[in-house]
Amino acid sequence: MALLNRHGANAVIWILLLTAPVWMHWVGGYTELGSRVLVMALAAMALNFLLGFTGVLSFGHAAYFGLGAYGTAMTIKYLVPSTPLAMLVGVVVGTLAAAIIGALIVKLRGVYFAMVTIAFGQVFYFITFRWNNVTGGDDGLTNWYRAPIDLGFTKLDILHNPEIFYYVILFFFAISVALIAMLLRSPFGRTLLAIRENERRARFLGIPIERHIWLSFVISCFFVSIAGTLYALLNNFVDPRALRWDLSGNFVIMAVLGGMRSFWGPLVGAVIFVVLQDYVSSMTENWESFIGLFFVLIVLFFPRGVLGIIRRKATS
Amino acid sequence: MSLLRVESVSRNFGSLIAVREVSMTVEPGELRAVIGPNGAGKTTFFNLISGMLQPSAGRIVFDGEDITGLLPARRVWRGIARTFQITEIFPELTVRENLRIPVEGAAGHRLQPWLSRDADAAVRARVNELLDMGGLAAKADRLVGELSHGDQRATEIMMALALKPRLLLLDEPTAGMGDQETYDITRLIRRLHRDQRLSIVLIEHDMRVVFHLADRIMVLAEGAPLEEGTPAEIAASERVQAAYLGKAAA
Amino acid sequence: MTQLVLFNIANGLIIGAFYALMALGLSLILNLSGVINFAHGGFLAIGGYLAYMLIPFVGFWGALLIAPFLTALIGLLVERVLIRRLYGRDPLYSLLLTFGLAYIIEDGTRFIWGAQSVPYQVPDWLMQPLSVQFFFLTGYRVFMMLLVGVAVGALFVILSRTRLGMRIRAGTLDLETVSVLGVNERILRTLNFGLGIYLAGLAGVLAAGMLGLSPTIGASLIMPSFVTIIVGGLGSLPGTLLGGLLIGVASGLTTTFFPSASEAVIYVMMGIVLLVRPRGLLGEEGRF
Repeated sequence: MALLNRHGANAVIWILLLTAPVWMHWVGGYTELGSRVLVMALAAMALNFLLGFTGVLSFGHAAYFGLGAYGTAMTIKYLVPSTPLAMLVGVVVGTLAAAIIGALIVKLRGVYFAMVTIAFGQVFYFITFRWNNVTGGDDGLTNWYRAPIDLGFTKLDILHNPEIFYYVILFFFAISVALIAMLLRSPFGRTLLAIRENERRARFLGIPIERHIWLSFVISCFFVSIAGTLYALLNNFVDPRALRWDLSGNFVIMAVLGGMRSFWGPLVGAVIFVVLQDYVSSMTENWESFIGLFFVLIVLFFPRGVLGIIRRKATS
Repeated sequence: MSLLRVESVSRNFGSLIAVREVSMTVEPGELRAVIGPNGAGKTTFFNLISGMLQPSAGRIVFDGEDITGLLPARRVWRGIARTFQITEIFPELTVRENLRIPVEGAAGHRLQPWLSRDADAAVRARVNELLDMGGLAAKADRLVGELSHGDQRATEIMMALALKPRLLLLDEPTAGMGDQETYDITRLIRRLHRDQRLSIVLIEHDMRVVFHLADRIMVLAEGAPLEEGTPAEIAASERVQAAYLGKAAA
Repeated sequence: MTQLVLFNIANGLIIGAFYALMALGLSLILNLSGVINFAHGGFLAIGGYLAYMLIPFVGFWGALLIAPFLTALIGLLVERVLIRRLYGRDPLYSLLLTFGLAYIIEDGTRFIWGAQSVPYQVPDWLMQPLSVQFFFLTGYRVFMMLLVGVAVGALFVILSRTRLGMRIRAGTLDLETVSVLGVNERILRTLNFGLGIYLAGLAGVLAAGMLGLSPTIGASLIMPSFVTIIVGGLGSLPGTLLGGLLIGVASGLTTTFFPSASEAVIYVMMGIVLLVRPRGLLGEEGRF
């Protein structure tokens, strides 16, 4: 893969993302859809740090996504309507939970690890469902709104101006993605690749496997909770569905669909999935069956994902 | 002081005694071979030394330190590196990337999220050095999974070397190889032994390799030590021949 | 007070037996084929709904007998057509597949039978409480417990006495060796899967009578099954049984003192087990 190719692809992607509010209207989209795609893409890329690059399957990432969302919503609703503070709280809560749970489960592997991540995902779903005087229960947390961001020299009205909010989201997306890229290209990132490729060999190169998996898990959940905070802000609403197993599954399918082994794969997957879901759910009540069918078809016929197939063709 | 002292280790799996009171001493700079018929417990023996298994009895002392209870990753840091019967490498990474990982690890960079330019240059230089030593320079940027068996094995050996070990354990390095590849690997091992003055313990079935390389040979049969000596002594030993032939006849 | 405690323990045992039934099916499939059957709850629902459809024709007992078999047949079909292709691959794919199936089944049942609960007819005499004192102990609950006991007993007999059972057990330990010894690996996996789904179907029929039948019945019961396996021990069927009973009883006991926490306690138990003994109470070492 020529260096030019990679830089070229990056450039195209960033240009598209930067100009999205402009061209989205031409293709029948709308800015808010673009914002939603970005949020989901960030979540999927965060998950893929663990899944595609460390080789560890987590099927409960929605828990930390949701914790980020609830942390944000509850801060604005109960504490102070400050967007930066709300985001901070959301990220801290999500990451802390990941650090603790990660430490508990890191001794497990493979399907058993996946099972436990699912179970823990459910724990938080259950908590938000039950603790309804605080979290609003099944109805969710309403009557709060993202507050304008005061930068000192200007105020960003992210509540009323979808374009401005899109760029704020893009800002956080860009920083997160840049950090992820930096980590993956570092010695630490290479160690994670080693664990993915051959855990035994990694162990016999002196790599402390559990510690690295824990770190990868925490980092992955850190970024996913950022996505969660943005999700809450985007919707001015959060409900237990932000923590549910189906959202966790959606993150995974986005990563797989786009191509787990490639950096931008989850973004591609998110674009396809979010747009598809948006379209199908407006067409029929039984959109869940279609999504389910979609999962089945991807797994059976398209496991390498879009970018996986493109890369194959390029190298052959 | 001996580099490695294995003191009467045993390992059983339930009622099956895989290794029975085997002792071995390796001096710095020695190249020792461990041979024996199939099922003699040679790989189990290696697993005990490298830490994959705990001995049911006995002690392992490395450079004066009792390492019997140490986890495998820790033993690597003490200076014991190994290769496996079935080559364990990172198949979807290039040769260069495969080597880079242990080099970075040995240089202490493993957890770092970024590398300074100097550190990066040092790592690259070391990787190139290893590539040349292993005869892999021409294939450096190809995926290891696509290389020939011999090249994969060479990569694995160089990965072990990247850790700057003091003791190298090679588990059947020429397994499944044709004559040319066997010759190449043997030459590589010989070079490493001489130039790097590495202590090496080698499990092998190919007697040509064993007699060409080894300073001393230990023979295991059915988990227990049968004989130990120089290549000449072992070649002349009737007991060893009986052990091999007996197995073949059975 | 003691009566209340006993009440809740007994109740807990019954619920626990039920969790165990579900989890055993899940465990069978997980241990032999390494597949997390996320659609297990869906098959449970299918079992319940099939029974519901059959009752007008064959009555309660006929439905109870036939529905699980039908469900198992559907399971066999699913395994043969879909899941079989994924065995050699990363467990990620089979999980995603069963995940998709769960979506389809839940939506499908909602489409066919509506989102509301449908009434599931249990014979009146079964619904009678056994005594005024133990009013909670309806005949149905006792019956269910007995049936679960019989089913679990039968399962263990099958596993220890029949050839299929022995092959499943051996295959769980080392599938490669078993297939080298001439056992047809594919048929073994298929039959094992069918057996697991049979248990799910049976659980579905029983659940219908106890909880009522709605499309979300599967999703609500699958989590305790997961926790059962994690607590009871990975790779161990007796462990799964033990795990189910334990979390059932724990849940029941908690109801006595902290009614709102009764659901939460199973997750707390899971957390404790993971902290103290990650492989589960009776789990085998090195399973992961």
